Amino acid sequence: MKCPNFEHVSRRALLKGTLATAAGGSLMNWGSLFNSQATAAEVNKNQKRCILLWMNGGVSQFETFDMKPGRPTGGLFRPISTNLPGTQVCELMPKIAQNMDKLTVIRSMRTSQVDHPGGIHLMHTGYSQAAGIRFPEIGAVIAKYLGRDGSDLPNFIKIFSHGNTGAGFLGPKFQPFALSPEGRLPTFSTSNLNPQIESRRNELRNFVEDVYARRHKAETARMHREAYEAARRLQNVHDVFKIDDEWNKYRDLYGDSAFGRRCLMARRLIEEGVPFVEVGQSSYDSHADNFVWHRALVPPMEHAWAGLMTDLEQRGLLEHTLVVWMGEIGRTPRVNNRSGRDHYVRSWSTALAGAGVKGGVVYGESDLDGIDVKDNPVTEGDFFATIYQALGIDPETEHYNGVRPIPIAPFGSDVVKDVLV
Amino acid sequence: MKINKPSHRWQLKFEGEWPTSVAFLGDSRKLAAGNRGGEIFVWNLPEEPPAPQQDEKDEQEKTPPDHPPTRQLTGHDNGISRLVATSDGKTLVSSSLDRTVRLWDVNSAATGSTEVVLDAKDRQRRARYKGEDEKKKILEAPGVKVETVDSAAELTGHRGWVGSLGLSGDQKQLISGDVTSLVITWDLAARKEKSRWTGHPWNWAVATALSPDGATALVSEYTYKRDDFDIPAAGLKLWTTVDGKEKLDLLKLQFPNLDPKATSYGSAQAWRKFVKGGLIAADFSPDGKFMAVGQGGETDTGKVHLLDAASGELLRTVSGHRYGVCDVKFSGDGQYILSSGRDTTIRICQVSDGKEVATLGKERGGQYKDWIHALAISPDQKTVAGADIAGFVHVWQL
Repeated sequence: MKCPNFEHVSRRALLKGTLATAAGGSLMNWGSLFNSQATAAEVNKNQKRCILLWMNGGVSQFETFDMKPGRPTGGLFRPISTNLPGTQVCELMPKIAQNMDKLTVIRSMRTSQVDHPGGIHLMHTGYSQAAGIRFPEIGAVIAKYLGRDGSDLPNFIKIFSHGNTGAGFLGPKFQPFALSPEGRLPTFSTSNLNPQIESRRNELRNFVEDVYARRHKAETARMHREAYEAARRLQNVHDVFKIDDEWNKYRDLYGDSAFGRRCLMARRLIEEGVPFVEVGQSSYDSHADNFVWHRALVPPMEHAWAGLMTDLEQRGLLEHTLVVWMGEIGRTPRVNNRSGRDHYVRSWSTALAGAGVKGGVVYGESDLDGIDVKDNPVTEGDFFATIYQALGIDPETEHYNGVRPIPIAPFGSDVVKDVLV
Repeated sequence: MKINKPSHRWQLKFEGEWPTSVAFLGDSRKLAAGNRGGEIFVWNLPEEPPAPQQDEKDEQEKTPPDHPPTRQLTGHDNGISRLVATSDGKTLVSSSLDRTVRLWDVNSAATGSTEVVLDAKDRQRRARYKGEDEKKKILEAPGVKVETVDSAAELTGHRGWVGSLGLSGDQKQLISGDVTSLVITWDLAARKEKSRWTGHPWNWAVATALSPDGATALVSEYTYKRDDFDIPAAGLKLWTTVDGKEKLDLLKLQFPNLDPKATSYGSAQAWRKFVKGGLIAADFSPDGKFMAVGQGGETDTGKVHLLDAASGELLRTVSGHRYGVCDVKFSGDGQYILSSGRDTTIRICQVSDGKEVATLGKERGGQYKDWIHALAISPDQKTVAGADIAGFVHVWQL
């Protein structure tokens, strides 16, 4: 797939636009095919989407999926058995242990950026930072190819945002919409005006902008208007963000934590058709006191993660939703004199579940002490190519930054086919 | 306790996993130490140590002599968090990350023997630039033969890592706390549970101590944050041990507006300065009038708060370890507070005015220093020991 610019309309995009129109009922010939709400809901349900669980700071592979019990690098936790025979994970993850049949775990990540800013950029875009190019985050790419034009909800949402590359050269249309760590809407998205006054103001603003746009043909005017329209449409779906009632019902499933609430919010958004939601958890940068940090952070995280997968599965959404679990880096095999583990990218772990990937797979292997990858190294490019492929997006799809072609996964990346269905 | 001119008498090698805990067993020449791998060894030291050796790196320095252990206490399969011993030295108690508390009859007959290597790091250093044959000879040299002793009792009931342990002054009761905030008191003679209670469900019982008569428990609760916006309030409370009822909320006393149920980052700021990285060490003075709690974690300066045991009033804040306190103990006469920390030192301060009167050890490490993870005072109050994460147990004569 070659896209000469970001205004390119692909067959998929055309179809997607058509479906969106059809669901709205304004194009009657096509609309007759999709004129019931049930059909539209089914189309919506089958659309692939993605939730990124972002472990900011770099979660330790030794304290999650790649334990080295009895080795000098092993640490203080003990392995537990999982529902995948022969596979063990850290004792901090009893709920994930019972969901291993849903996961593909990659124990052989080998990436190229060992610091936080570089790693966060790398693991949000697939690319190292480069002067003069603003690479789009994975959420923006997915919003572009799986998003719905004219949706009341944004196509790229971050809850407790990390990474600041945003849409990059894809342009403001695909910028992330950020919720607060508590999942609250930003203040600008809520109007206190009387709806009638609000409506009249919108009409007036549209009139003025129409006049301006006719005279100046300015791209910025169009973008400005689109942004206003998106904010106005958001008023229609405020209830999606009110989760208190549902939280009372689902607290036990997700676990009583801020991260659990964020995951429930992510499920609600995915259910409403948002193609990409990132959910962050902070504080994994455990240069000191690695074990007690992980003892505090991992249990609420894994509880929420397992609850999210269960909830998605029970709603028939997991097979259409790719759940990606990763941070920007791994952590060192050696434990330093602060009882900490430092940054490490020669061998670390990530995980995938749901749309397009097999369950019950452990891919790749690190060596005896977790110092290096023993089998099947997976680079950042390979990982992103695999994610895009799982979501039905050709990883060789190119965008252009000026005259330079930039594929959505870096040149030379290999899809890890063994983990895909 | 009399502090003359403290001298560094022994530097016992205990390499491998970090030494985390130490206790004297009846007198100043017999001690036990545990590490993060679950190993516990017992040393019987000669009355007079041999002459110190010249330090290889520093002409001005001399290294105190090493001495091999005689016994290994086997049973734990994860790290030892604390050791306490009865003053007669007959019973040693260990708490562990394996969720158990174990009791040891230290003088009981050996159950076997084994050979252990406690100088692995030193061997690697010596072998580094040698030829293959010599390297092999150094690395594979025989270790130390020790007797093995099984534990006399295993106290179960905890649901997670047991990180804190204390013994009442009358030697009749134990207290232990785990990472689920569960606290259990035990009858030492009967080896049975007496009472239990829990704190905030997200918190850990990071430090526990019993009053001399065992009637009151001091419990410090803390947890490392679940993420930036999910931090339960720390806790520091007195409890009645007989029924596990809360007696006094010491943190609430310091911060009357504290909401123990609040879990926001904002609420954490109320207690952050007082608690720092958790009040991870606690002790009662021998007369039961005072309590000491040490600020742990990786903080700029870890201090020790001295509190009135009856009113909970903060009397003064003493000491000041760079990067945090690891352990706190009152001297037997109640005149001094001894604290070990993340700056490779043990600091001795006067209770009366907080003045620091001696420092044992000196800072070692890179930007961050090695820790003295735990300290012990001999029953005769003449000797202090420290568990050094670099792989040593140090013994100082005061």
